[in-house]
This record gives sequence, C-alpha cells and structure tokens, in this order.
Amino acid sequence: MIKQSIIENVLEAALSTGGDFSEVFIEDKFMNMMELQGGKIEKSISGRDFGIGIRIFSGLQSIYTYTTDFSEEGLINAAKRAALAIKGGGSGTIHPLQKETVSAIHKIVQMPQTVEHARKAAVMKKANEIARNYDARIKQAELRYIDEEQNVLIANSEGKFVEDTRVHSRLSIQAIASDGIEMQTGFYGPGAHAGFEFIENLDLNHYAGEAARIAVTMLKADECPSGKFPVIIDNEFGGVIFHEACGHGLEATSVAKNNSVFANRIGEKVAPDIVTYIDDGTLPNEWGSLNIDDEGEKTRKNVLIEDGILKGYLVDKFNARRMNTEATGSSRRQSYRFNPTSRMTNTYIAPGKSMPEEIIASTEHGIYAKYMGGGSVNPATGDYNFAVAEAYLVKDGKIDRPVRGATLIGNGAKTLQLVDMVGNNLGHGAGMCGSISGSLPVNVGQPMIRVSEITVGGTKGE
Amino acid sequence: MTINEFQEKLLAEAMGTGFKEAEVYYEKSESFRVMTFKGEIDSYETSEEGGLGFRGLYNGKMGYAYTEKIEEASIAFLIDGAKANAEVLDEDDGTDIFKGSETYAKHNFYSEELAQVPTLEKIELIKSIEAKVYAYDPRIVTLNYCALQDFSEERVMANNKGLSLNEKQNGLIIFISAVVKDGEEMKTGSCIKMTRNFAELDAEAIAKEVAEEALSSLGERSIPTKKYPIIMRHDASASLLATFAPVFSAENTQAGQSLLKGKVGEKIAADTFMLLDDPSHPDAISGSNFDGEGVATQKRAIVSNGTLETLLHNRKTAKKDGVVTTGHARKSSYKSTLTIAPLNMYIAPGNKSKEELIASVEEGIFITGLAGLHSGASTVSGDFSLAATGFHIKDGKIASAVKQMTIAGNFFDYLKDIVETGADLEFMPGGYGSPSLVVKELSVTVD
Repeated sequence: MIKQSIIENVLEAALSTGGDFSEVFIEDKFMNMMELQGGKIEKSISGRDFGIGIRIFSGLQSIYTYTTDFSEEGLINAAKRAALAIKGGGSGTIHPLQKETVSAIHKIVQMPQTVEHARKAAVMKKANEIARNYDARIKQAELRYIDEEQNVLIANSEGKFVEDTRVHSRLSIQAIASDGIEMQTGFYGPGAHAGFEFIENLDLNHYAGEAARIAVTMLKADECPSGKFPVIIDNEFGGVIFHEACGHGLEATSVAKNNSVFANRIGEKVAPDIVTYIDDGTLPNEWGSLNIDDEGEKTRKNVLIEDGILKGYLVDKFNARRMNTEATGSSRRQSYRFNPTSRMTNTYIAPGKSMPEEIIASTEHGIYAKYMGGGSVNPATGDYNFAVAEAYLVKDGKIDRPVRGATLIGNGAKTLQLVDMVGNNLGHGAGMCGSISGSLPVNVGQPMIRVSEITVGGTKGE
Repeated sequence: MTINEFQEKLLAEAMGTGFKEAEVYYEKSESFRVMTFKGEIDSYETSEEGGLGFRGLYNGKMGYAYTEKIEEASIAFLIDGAKANAEVLDEDDGTDIFKGSETYAKHNFYSEELAQVPTLEKIELIKSIEAKVYAYDPRIVTLNYCALQDFSEERVMANNKGLSLNEKQNGLIIFISAVVKDGEEMKTGSCIKMTRNFAELDAEAIAKEVAEEALSSLGERSIPTKKYPIIMRHDASASLLATFAPVFSAENTQAGQSLLKGKVGEKIAADTFMLLDDPSHPDAISGSNFDGEGVATQKRAIVSNGTLETLLHNRKTAKKDGVVTTGHARKSSYKSTLTIAPLNMYIAPGNKSKEELIASVEEGIFITGLAGLHSGASTVSGDFSLAATGFHIKDGKIASAVKQMTIAGNFFDYLKDIVETGADLEFMPGGYGSPSLVVKELSVTVD
C-alpha cells in the first residue's frame, strides 16, 4: 500500500525525539451499504476509506496521530509533529522490517467487491418478502446490507511487518408489526468474517421469519412486571449480558488503571464452578474473528475464567506495559482514526451440562429472555443494563405469556456469581461493540443460562 | 493533485459520462486530544483528515460514492461507484441537486482565539483540573476519564448548478469522569464542558462539579418499586430527546416508522411544551448556515404550545408531502447518504430554577443520568425502559441517592405528561438541549 522504505522513514521520524516504540497502521477499506424500505432499494452507497495511523510509546505515554495525507513528506511531518509531544529521554532503535505471512484461517470465497449490486439486492428482496408474508400485521420491513474489505498493513520499530485483508458481510432485518394503534419491532442481524457466500447461503426463512415473529409476538405482549426474578437467558445473542457484565471489565483498558472490579484478582474465584468464559478470535469465519489483531499480533483463544476461577485478561501492547504482562492478541480499533486498545473478539460462555428444557422445567416463577437487545456497562463499577427484545413469563416450569419492556439491571461481578445453570446448546450471535477505540464487530455467545436473581425493570408493578 | 483540481475534474468528467446533475461534498478536519492519568499525559492524539463524497443524478436516480484517497484514480472509482449505486435503486430518489437558496445567514461558528490557544495551555488546564479533582475529597480514588479535545473542520459543497458553499467551525470539549469509593460502595460521576471560548473554562469550578456529581451519589438507598413523579435533569432530558428525535423526521413518518404520521397540527404534548431547532444557537457547539443539500437553515418551532407545527423535512420528503423543505437534510459526513436530522434541537426553558422544581415535588425521583438508550428505547413504538441514576425526593428535598434503577414509559405519553419546565437550558455535545422537566409519573424499578 505504501513503499517499505517510506514506512521505515516514518517509523524513524516517529522515534526522533526519544520514543521507545513506533508503529504504522495503514488502512485501505472498500465498503458497500444498501438499504431496503417499503420493498424498494432506497439507499446504496460505496466508498473507500484510506488513512494512516502512527503511534509512539515513551514509557507509559502513548502518542497517536492519523492522517489521510499519504505523501512521504506528509507522513514524515505527521510523525515528527507527534514526536514533539515526547520530551527527550531514551533513544529508540528501529529493527529491520521482517515480512510475516499471515496464515488465513478465515477463508473468503467471494470477495464482496466483485459481486454485482443486483445480486445483493436480490437477497434483500427475498428476505423482505419472507418477513412481509409472515403475517398480515407485518406492515414494514427494513433491511440493511453491508460489506467491507479492509486491507491493513502494520509495521513497527520491533521489525514487525504484516499485511492482512479482513472481509465482513452482514444482513440486518428489522420487521415492524402494527395492529393499527401500536407498533412493535423485531430484529435479527446475522454477520460473518466472510464474503458474499455467507449472505447467499443464509437461511432467510429462519432469520427474516424470526424478525417478523418477534415483532408480531411483542404486539400482543403484556407489560413486563418489575422486581427481582430468576432469569433464563437463551443462547446465541443472549451472551450480550456477559459481554457487558464481565467482558468489558476484563479488558486491560480498564484493568490496567485499576478501573475494573476484576483488577488484581487473577486466581480468585469470581464465578460458580459451572462458568468458563472464553474470548477466541480464531473461530473460523465468525463475525468477531481476525487473523491478526490491529497491532499485528496473531489472535488466539484466551480463557478468561475457567471453572469459576479468574485466569486472565484481554491485553494490548500499551496496557501490557502498565500491567507488566504480555499482549494477548486482543488489540483492536475501528479504523486508522482510533488508537487501538484491548477489546473483545468472539466472547462466549462454554457449554455446560443442562438441557434447555430442564432449565425451564426447573424454574417455578421467572422471566425467560429469548432474544436480547443491546446494553451497556460502567466498567468502573460493573453496573450494567440491557434490554430484552423478546421476553416471556415462566410459570410452574413452563413458558407462559410474552411480556414487553423488560430491562435487566445489575452488577456484573454479582450477576456472574448468581449463574446457577448452564445449558449444553452453545451458540454465537453477532453484534457491534462501541468503546474507546470505536465500534467493532464482536460475537457474543453462550448456551442457555439461568441466573438465580436479576432486577427486572418493567412498566407493570409487582 | 490539489482538492480543487480534483473537484473540478470530477464534476466535469461526471457530466461527460451520463450524469445529468452532480455534486461534491468535501470535508477537512483537524483534531487534538489529550488524556491525563495521575498527573502524566497518558495519551496524546492529533489528526488531519479529509474526504470527499460525490452524488449524481444518473438515469433519474441519485447515486452516491465517497473516497478518502484524493488521487487521479479515485475519479473513476467515484463515477463508476455512483453509477452502480444509482442503477440498483428501485425508483427515482425523488430529488435533484439544489441550485441554492436566495440568501444565507452569516453566523460564525469558528473562533480565531480558540484556534490560537497554545497546546501547552490546554494540557496545563486538563492537568490542573485532574489535580483539583483528586484534591477535592479523599474518597475520590481515581479518574477513569480525564480528557480534553478540540477540533476544527471545514466543509465545502459545490455542484454543477453553480452552488458553492463553505463553512468553518471549531470547538473544544472537556470530559471528566471520577470514581469515588466509600467502604464497599463505588460510584462514578462525570461532567462534560464544551465551548468556543477557552477563557471561560474554570478549572476550579469544573473539578468541583465532577467531584460533587460523583460524591453525591454515595450513600445510595433502595426505595419501593412503583410509579413516581419524575424530575428529569436537563442532561438526562436532552439525552432522551436525542434518542427520540427520529420520530420527528418526515422520512420516518413516510416509511410508516413513526407514530407522528399525520399528526401535524395536532396536540402531541403538554401545553407548556415548546420544541425548537436553531442551527445557530449560541450555546450549542455545532452550527451551520446551510443543510446537507445546501438549503439555508433557520430557527424553527417544531412543537408550539404542545401542537406539532411541522415535521423535519429535506427536499425529497417535502416534495412527497407537498410542503417546503425545513432545511433538515443531514449529511453527517462525506461518507453518508442524505438523511434527516435536526441540528440544535432543544426544549424551550421555563422560569423555575432546579431547586424550585425539586421543591414542587412532594415525593418523587430526580433523574441525573440515563443508560442503555441505544437498546432500551424504540423510536417505532415510543416505549422505553432504561437504566437510570438519581435521587429520591422527599418533602420537596433531595433525600438520598437511589440504588440502581430503571425507568419505563412511552415517549408520546411522556410528552403529554410534562408538568413543568425549568429555566436551566443546557446543550449537550450532540446538539440536543433541554432544561430540567417535571413529569407526572414513570414506572420506577429499584434494585
């Protein structure tokens, strides 16, 4: 993307004031986005993002600059300007760049840039038909298709020189149901680190049908009661609760500065024996997967909690310095516009032994959260919240009527302690995670889980 | 190749290859951000970036493409891309390229003084705020965020119909979040300041505000779960307004995704409720004299005395509804297609101070923050169920911080249930503003 000699000069200019590490991140990304509304493709845009991020470390200080000016002069000037923020100190050295080959774990069959828009539109229209035909009360469907081909080149003063191509494809389906007075929505958004083959092979009957079914079901749902209940959270995207409740608290971004309830607790029991929590960027073609992270490190399987014991954190190169540990292949950024930091990839709770039917049958009175919406967490305190997209009451071990407006709140560390059943049906769900280094594709996953008590906020009193 | 050469060549080539009309939209921006941690610079970021969006009418349909790589080869990329995107559209976009308004306001959104403030002074300010927060109270254990950011940007819009507009703006934002601990109880409190006037930033006052915000939330208590009268503090109210702003978009009513469809001229809120949009409000940090299509912007009432006066339109939705555009076309960046959004939408202030509002509530909840807005609120149904932070009001006085809670209701009912509006209007960085509001009641669930 940019000549090696220029990169070497930039890395050197970045260390000209005494920094001890410099890095160049070059990104050349092609994207296509299309939106369908009212059965018609109403929006379609393509684009190319191109820019360069330069990072310098000096001890525990991190300097970041980025630019869209790709001339050698422009880049050297940007590096020198950034280096001015460092006041003297040591003298960093540049190791000769050694080109690494990336072993592509995630096979891409059809690069989206080579696929005509019409074929993409055809899938959207088919999904729209399925959603619209599901029920007369489905009045609208809104579909969004997005593909991205992100080419990155990462080089640093330690001699790293590596290139990779990341391909993401996603189809989001929102169905809107109305009975003439009220409106409710249902959503499903499958995505993968894969090419157009993923979109063409999607089981549209399942995904579009589910989006429509949720919207119609919620139309006839009662108001959710509020109070403290046992909560059964179904598999796949249900894992978003642990993404918020403990995943963020295990990122070095907050751990390194002691801004996490999980800081300094390696080896401690933080969850019941039945809980094992893993972040794995190597799962083939999963939405949150990567061959290499955004510092050029190979992604890996990081066991964070094993049989309830805290085993590790997600660590990036900079925070590794503060923590005096090694990076874990977890450094990510949305684009060259962001200074990378430790983030999740595909995070999930490992499968347990309980059958889903058994979990429901053993719950006398509670809430069954079939599909989750999104949520957020305050990493310093671990207090989280998230919305349930499709919920039911559970009565006498059976799924009872649907309820709407359920929001779960609690504290991550405490909720983790209250997991009392883990199912055997692990599934992954695709989502976008927003944090300090931007919005990223991540998978959240789990088998069906039961938590003995969560505070459920609803509109109906106890 | 300079950007001017690039733009001229692009427009000329587009017109020669089948586009009937074409427009370029260019943005260039610079930013600086510094974060401190325990007296040291933890991170220091600078940027210089630019990108160009192209749209053109091809076979009656509007195609879009953008690039951040300004080089000869990108001209073909943009033209081919925009054509391919136009071709896949199912119908005429219903709009064309705008030739320009007759006159434009000349509000200034750029401060030369701010641009001249030396970097060192900005770093000293944020360091001094950090030190003052730590010194304020021993229960302040750390700052999980202590950042100062400034930005400046320039936008240029030019088309084949002779329109040529440009605008500069800048601003500075400070964001601080402190963690306090008392025994086992841990809380955070944050504060955001934005300005174009560096001299008005008072380190002492900012430190006090964030420290008090965090410390006051200690000593939390649980209270019964039920419906309570609510006071939404100005910032919580502005964030709820921002979340539900899409219900006022004509794009959403036309797509059958907003319950305000067909409600223009009808009563949708309490009599005292006034909702305005002012693209040049002096208290907001963003502003513009023209919208994303080049239409001159102006201050407008959206809801007046509870009656919906107008929806937000761009030229396409206005044509469909047989009205005149309200200048709400939004191009959030050169990477975006046109959509609809307000610029500085705010609820008009009333006369009562925050203290008077609190005194007017015998028992209720004073909400200071909302979380989960991206997932716990539906602009389609109007339903919301959100995590909230705040205080229990008893006998017209703040009694104690409340444990984690959720508040739930429906935005359309909420608008009708507004009882009183405070005088403390403030804008948030996103361009939404509100005073504190008293609302009849919402369902409150407490941990």
